[in-house]
Amino acid sequence: MTTSSFYSRFERHSHGEGLKGHATHYCPGCGHGLAHKYLAEAIDELGIQDRTVAVSPVGCSVFLYYYFDVGNTQAAHGRAPAVAIGHKLANPESIVVSYQGDGDLASIGLAEIVSTAQLGIPISVVFVNNAIYGMTGGQMAPTTLMGQRTATSPDGRSAFMGQPTKMAELISGLDGPVYVERVALFNAKQRNRAKKAIRKALQIQVEGRGFAFVEVLAECPTHLKATPEEAEKWVEEQMLPVFPLGVKKDEVREPWWPTHRPTYDRETVLKTIGGGEEHAPRACKGFPSHVARHDISLKLAGSGGDGAQTAAMLIVRAGINEGFDATHIPAYGPESRGGTSYADVHVADTEVLSPASPKPNVLIAFNAPSLVKFGPDVLPGGTIIYDSSVIHELQPFRAGVKVVGVPMAEIAVGLGKAMVKNIVALGALQAVTEIFPKETFLTAIRQALKDKCALIPLNEEAFAWGIKAVQQVEVA
Amino acid sequence: MPATKERPKPFVLPEFCKGCGRCISACPKHCISEGTEINPRTGLVPVVLNLEHCNGCGLCIDACPEPYGLRETPVDQDYELLDPEKLFGSRMTDAPEPVDHPDEAVPLAQMEPLVLKGNYASAVGALLAGCRHFFGYPITPSTEGAELMAKLLPKLDGVFLQAVSEVAAVNMMYGCGGAGMRCMTFTSSPGFSLMLEGISYMIGSEVPGVFVDVMRGGPGLGNIAPEQADIKLACRGLGHGNTHAIVLVPSTPQEMLDLTMLAFDLAFKYRNPVVVLSDGYLGQMTGKVTLPAQMVKPGIPAWAVWGDREHRRNLMSSIYLSEPDLEAWNVHLNEKYEAMKVEQRADLFLCDDAEVVLVACNTPSRMAKGAVEALRAQGIKAGLFRPMTLFPFPIDSLKPVLSHARRLVVVEASNGQLEDEVKLALANAGVRDYPEIEHVRHFGGVLPQLEEIVVKVAAGEEVTV
Repeated sequence: MTTSSFYSRFERHSHGEGLKGHATHYCPGCGHGLAHKYLAEAIDELGIQDRTVAVSPVGCSVFLYYYFDVGNTQAAHGRAPAVAIGHKLANPESIVVSYQGDGDLASIGLAEIVSTAQLGIPISVVFVNNAIYGMTGGQMAPTTLMGQRTATSPDGRSAFMGQPTKMAELISGLDGPVYVERVALFNAKQRNRAKKAIRKALQIQVEGRGFAFVEVLAECPTHLKATPEEAEKWVEEQMLPVFPLGVKKDEVREPWWPTHRPTYDRETVLKTIGGGEEHAPRACKGFPSHVARHDISLKLAGSGGDGAQTAAMLIVRAGINEGFDATHIPAYGPESRGGTSYADVHVADTEVLSPASPKPNVLIAFNAPSLVKFGPDVLPGGTIIYDSSVIHELQPFRAGVKVVGVPMAEIAVGLGKAMVKNIVALGALQAVTEIFPKETFLTAIRQALKDKCALIPLNEEAFAWGIKAVQQVEVA
Repeated sequence: MPATKERPKPFVLPEFCKGCGRCISACPKHCISEGTEINPRTGLVPVVLNLEHCNGCGLCIDACPEPYGLRETPVDQDYELLDPEKLFGSRMTDAPEPVDHPDEAVPLAQMEPLVLKGNYASAVGALLAGCRHFFGYPITPSTEGAELMAKLLPKLDGVFLQAVSEVAAVNMMYGCGGAGMRCMTFTSSPGFSLMLEGISYMIGSEVPGVFVDVMRGGPGLGNIAPEQADIKLACRGLGHGNTHAIVLVPSTPQEMLDLTMLAFDLAFKYRNPVVVLSDGYLGQMTGKVTLPAQMVKPGIPAWAVWGDREHRRNLMSSIYLSEPDLEAWNVHLNEKYEAMKVEQRADLFLCDDAEVVLVACNTPSRMAKGAVEALRAQGIKAGLFRPMTLFPFPIDSLKPVLSHARRLVVVEASNGQLEDEVKLALANAGVRDYPEIEHVRHFGGVLPQLEEIVVKVAAGEEVTV
């Protein structure tokens, strides 16, 4: 019988020339060949050759793709599980095998294998542990035994170099995997078990039940400086006490892996991104050049939670609805809440050129430090609006700057929701500067709250109070 | 008693046996022994079979590590033991030759402009470009892009996956892009550094993917304010090896959308990663964003390792063991980098008669544009040359500008990384005659400001303000 999951000729092995067309690159007696063979047989038996994608690692098995007549990807050192995730998520119906050695999986790729195992995505990992780095020439592996001599532990692995890593136990300790087993190849009985374990790991994936991991204790006669027969014996006698064989985890989980494909339906996409053809009504007669000729620069400053950014966004939305260009840039302190929160806003008749507001035409200050910090930067002819319920002392500002105090927080609390003080501020901004008509602000507010309609009346009220407060101040 | 079927006995082609002897200990009937004769074609000593006592148990075959080593003797079949081609077939595979399933452009009606943050605009652009797979790791100031993808992709039956690190994220892209899907990530400078290894593999294996790098202050942890200090990485340092990728540089939220969409097209056109190099200011900046006239419904390219019969013969790999093979591969990649030169893009503002040419990209180009207007108001013939691609550098549109430029001023938020690209582009194009380059530079999150650009330029001009 021909194992159809192997290529009929290994053309990728030195262009398939001569004997290399049908022989592996592995040293005589290497365990990799057996693991390959059992994997190929399992793929055949399950009838999944067309669906299979094999991820080759870095190490001796870097050339896995020479041999397997399946979809092939060669990954960077240690990253095979991440690459496997990419394939599995791209086509959930593919059967993805991450084939890795001990350096690849247990050393440089620890983060990838542990996180992938914990994700529990149905991929199958074949982990070949031969306790040594083969391809680079016999250096110490994370699974090298204590006392074992290698090129980088010439006097034997010592305590200083750490203990061998027991991957099957480590992986089985995670919640994600459904099946973890350690098998070996040193006699006919173990080979039979190895074969079954690899098949089972694939079967679990075919059924969409989860992450499966098979650790295969394998022989590296070359770097053990032993005959294949001695190497088999070494695995049995030396490795087994450290790496006990057997099933480490075998949970029956119901098939859960979804195989749906993404949608590209136009209406769904547009709804998702919020695209619409509806025009917002325009209320402006022209660009508010009484505030600034072509480009109005505003700064809103307070602490996190004051709503400076939301108010800034509403100004931008209002400006864009009116057919102007507008930009907003936030600046926060390092804290998630309670730190400083500044917003630079520009509204320009054609194009905002410089989006920062180091010298604003309008400053809205929600607290005293913000007023102290930015008040002196406001340009002559500009406007400062501050929350007079929390700011009681004013420093001198530039000549020609209009300063208006509005008890924003007080009004908002009176309305039953301290959060709307930024909307009170917008009302005040409208009343003091007349940057846009009231209707423009209200449209922007309604748009922003289109998914929270219940909040619209409260916000409209807050906006009206902001206007009223300015009128009262101006009368006074 | 059920009829017993005679089990096939093993045979071995001496050329394919490495003589390891694992079959010897596996045989309970002691039918196999170590050979004594060196095979003249392999230099190895194959085992010798004496099948007198063989009961066809097959244990020796299970013990043989070679795919075409010990095999079952074909029953009822005409075979020629000494002719591997006859035995195993002359072709590598019976998988079919894959064909392209092309992308489809889906027209969109004219929409009202959206009000979007730069990072959001880029994410929306990705969705419109047919991207349904996102892999990333949160990092300020790029995170909003990832957050929006996390929110929207499930609604489109797409996948958002937060990886264990940027290193893992880029390799997920390698897998997903290798499967022919349009995938992307949002990251910022320290995260981009971590992704470089994977980008080198993607380039080496010709895997497309889009990287939006929202540049922040460095080196090291730096800060989360805007810088342009990844220009050298994106243009000259995409991991090890002879790598290059198209580098797009937006300067408005609108361009964040447009250039992200373009990035996907170019990534698949050239089978190569594409970098959208943004900055912290632009990522956070909200502005007007008009939706494009069409969106993309992607197909599956012929080269994809998709995981079905049609794509079974495909391979993603960057390893070429033989030196001539790897040289040929590099020649191929370099030809591709050369071909990318047609993708040069630049925006020229008042450059037609400009005597003082400012060069700037990303957010600093907005300040520079404001400065040009201010300088023109002073009677100084200033103009702005704004590259929209840094690789390839838009040298073809810079050259004509140089014919009347007395001064060249590079405005940037880095230690001359943009200036280096300008100089290199000039040198590579054989341009020797150009004014000494002046600059306005800032680092650490401080951006060049409009006024200082004006002051710098005006100081060198004989104009009284």
